Amino acid sequence: MSIKAAPLHQKFMTTNFWILVFFMLSGVGFAYFRFFEGFGSVTNLNKAYPFGIWIAFDVACGVALAAGGFTTAAIVEIFGREKYHALVRPAILTAFIGYFLVGFAVFFDLGKYYNIWHALVYWNGTSVLFEVAWCVMLYLTVLGIENLPNVVEQFKGNVHLPGPLSALNGKIDWLLGKADWFCRKTMSFFVIAGVVLSFGHQSSLGTMMLIAPYKLHTLWYTPLSPLLFLTSAVSVGIPMVIFEGTLATKFFGRKPETELLGSFAKYVPLFLGTYLLLRIGDLAYRGVLAHAFDGSVQGNSFLLEFALFTVPYFMFKQKSVRKSGTKLFLCALSVICAVILNRFNVFLIGMDMGPNWNYFPSIGEFAITFAFLALGVMMYKFAVNYLPIMEEEH
Amino acid sequence: MNIDRRKFFKLGAVAGGTAVCSVAAPAMAREEREPDPNWFGMLNDSTRCIGCRACQSACKTENKLSAEPTIGEDKVFGRPLYDSPRELSENTYTLIKMHQDEVSKETTFVKQQCMHCADPACQSACIVGALKKKSNGAVEYDADLCMGCRYCMVACPFSVPQFEWQKAIPSIKKCTLCSETRLKKGEPTACATACPAGAITFGKRDALLKLARKRIEGEPQRYLDHIYGEKEVGGTGVLYLTKPQVQFAGLGLPDVKYHAVSGLTESIQHRIFQYFIPPIAVYSLLGGIMSYNQRRKKNAGQIGGDDEY
Repeated sequence: MSIKAAPLHQKFMTTNFWILVFFMLSGVGFAYFRFFEGFGSVTNLNKAYPFGIWIAFDVACGVALAAGGFTTAAIVEIFGREKYHALVRPAILTAFIGYFLVGFAVFFDLGKYYNIWHALVYWNGTSVLFEVAWCVMLYLTVLGIENLPNVVEQFKGNVHLPGPLSALNGKIDWLLGKADWFCRKTMSFFVIAGVVLSFGHQSSLGTMMLIAPYKLHTLWYTPLSPLLFLTSAVSVGIPMVIFEGTLATKFFGRKPETELLGSFAKYVPLFLGTYLLLRIGDLAYRGVLAHAFDGSVQGNSFLLEFALFTVPYFMFKQKSVRKSGTKLFLCALSVICAVILNRFNVFLIGMDMGPNWNYFPSIGEFAITFAFLALGVMMYKFAVNYLPIMEEEH
Repeated sequence: MNIDRRKFFKLGAVAGGTAVCSVAAPAMAREEREPDPNWFGMLNDSTRCIGCRACQSACKTENKLSAEPTIGEDKVFGRPLYDSPRELSENTYTLIKMHQDEVSKETTFVKQQCMHCADPACQSACIVGALKKKSNGAVEYDADLCMGCRYCMVACPFSVPQFEWQKAIPSIKKCTLCSETRLKKGEPTACATACPAGAITFGKRDALLKLARKRIEGEPQRYLDHIYGEKEVGGTGVLYLTKPQVQFAGLGLPDVKYHAVSGLTESIQHRIFQYFIPPIAVYSLLGGIMSYNQRRKKNAGQIGGDDEY
């Protein structure tokens, strides 16, 4: 590599930092009630909607939007497109943060959060959640290992702890050396493992709601759902890299990477096309397309979801779009919104759990979700500032 | 070279897709679990129910469940006002509701509680196996195992499991078929014992089916010739009879198919985990592509060089 990644070393406590802190603190406030006064005191969850925004957005969308990590890793490391090497580290970092937040959100959403370790010990192989849980845990571990070289590169031979902790300098350096050796020997194994685990995890989220054939709307209840979840996640991988890359250049005052991102975007139509083909084929095969036009909330929601997927498919094919930073960003945003809406449709909007019950997230649920997002952004900000994630500008 | 590589890339994508397809392809129905004739259950004869709610209060007494103020709030009236609960809840395991058939306008009182399915969706869905079908026929919940994920509430086609939304440490609550409290002592369920109209019959599933058929044959003008729960969702422990002019949908019982709802998810799961073939196949495929690309680059002496797609 001719260009090396390096920490940004910018001023950390900016105005944006305090905005993030504000969101996180407001989340902490509501979290108190969640943990000590019961779900009823903060959420609008009810007997007909046991899953709310914490599952639909924080978990389902969180996992899908972390797809940038495994798609970029696969394209660069497995399919050998070295050109996009600069995009791998930020993508893997975001995936790690995304999965960390998913785990954190699950912890908030579990009624008996202190039993979360039961998933490790008490197995029920018939449960889709069993696969979901194991993939989260394993993939988060793999992502941790994939991010380890960043830490090693920065601190190996460079450990200077302050004061009395300096006695540990040698030990930690020795540990970093071991970690370096381990990473070098095994990274290929973990890169592929990360992709396979992602395949399993993305698709198993699509299987989840298939347990409720009488509740999930027919537009989304299909045996193909796991494959649709997987292909849509792969489709949103590159758009997420574009989205983050564009925002990062903006907020950290770096040179736009439009050329590289635009070139990377060439792959999107391939993935999106596969997804759309499967989606339309499935709807046509099952003969349920008419439901999309029945004027119901679900029908309209489907149409919007479909439009958000289809428009960028055609846009990404055009060179003029890929050359313009703004257009590229908007197209990426469209795919991201499409995937988010799709997950909401499957987990909330398309679920009819019986009459007389409605659900709209409460302020507390929103506040805690925003707190998670703020924590994620903060972790990203911290990591790129102190670890070699982004390539040095040339 | 360039064309070759592009072809290879596409081939890889197609092969990977196919490997995953085989995992997700519409699964064949898995083996149905046959109901055990020795399981206990109940027969709810909606033609006999008089709507007195004795079963409801017997259930509350047996399970030490508190009453629910249902009309307005304490603040409005100065004290809680009580009426029959509107829905099942963490304090109401069974409920009598009056239903009206959409077509015939005939009204009927119907009891609602856990159906104690032969092949329960909640058992299939529970990540830690906290919901289990017991040998006595009850679907039992273990609060100590439960993580509180509420997937059972999503899975249950009858929306029976309830969650304690107001508690800091919430559990799932639902009808237990009095498994621990009464069945152990050889007593029938509290609701069946309390019913003054003979609308709830407790017994073994086989005997209940025979009894139901006998009633239908004896008074064909009184009953619809169908026992709800005999086959629905793979069979349930609680069975229902209805009047000929009232469809079961008119009793608030959903129009469900005869196979267990967990058939599809379990088949998909089974395919993925059967000898781990799909994950290993995908892993080997990707590994092959990776080493191919690495070797190719080494041979070309251009590690780290730019590639054009």
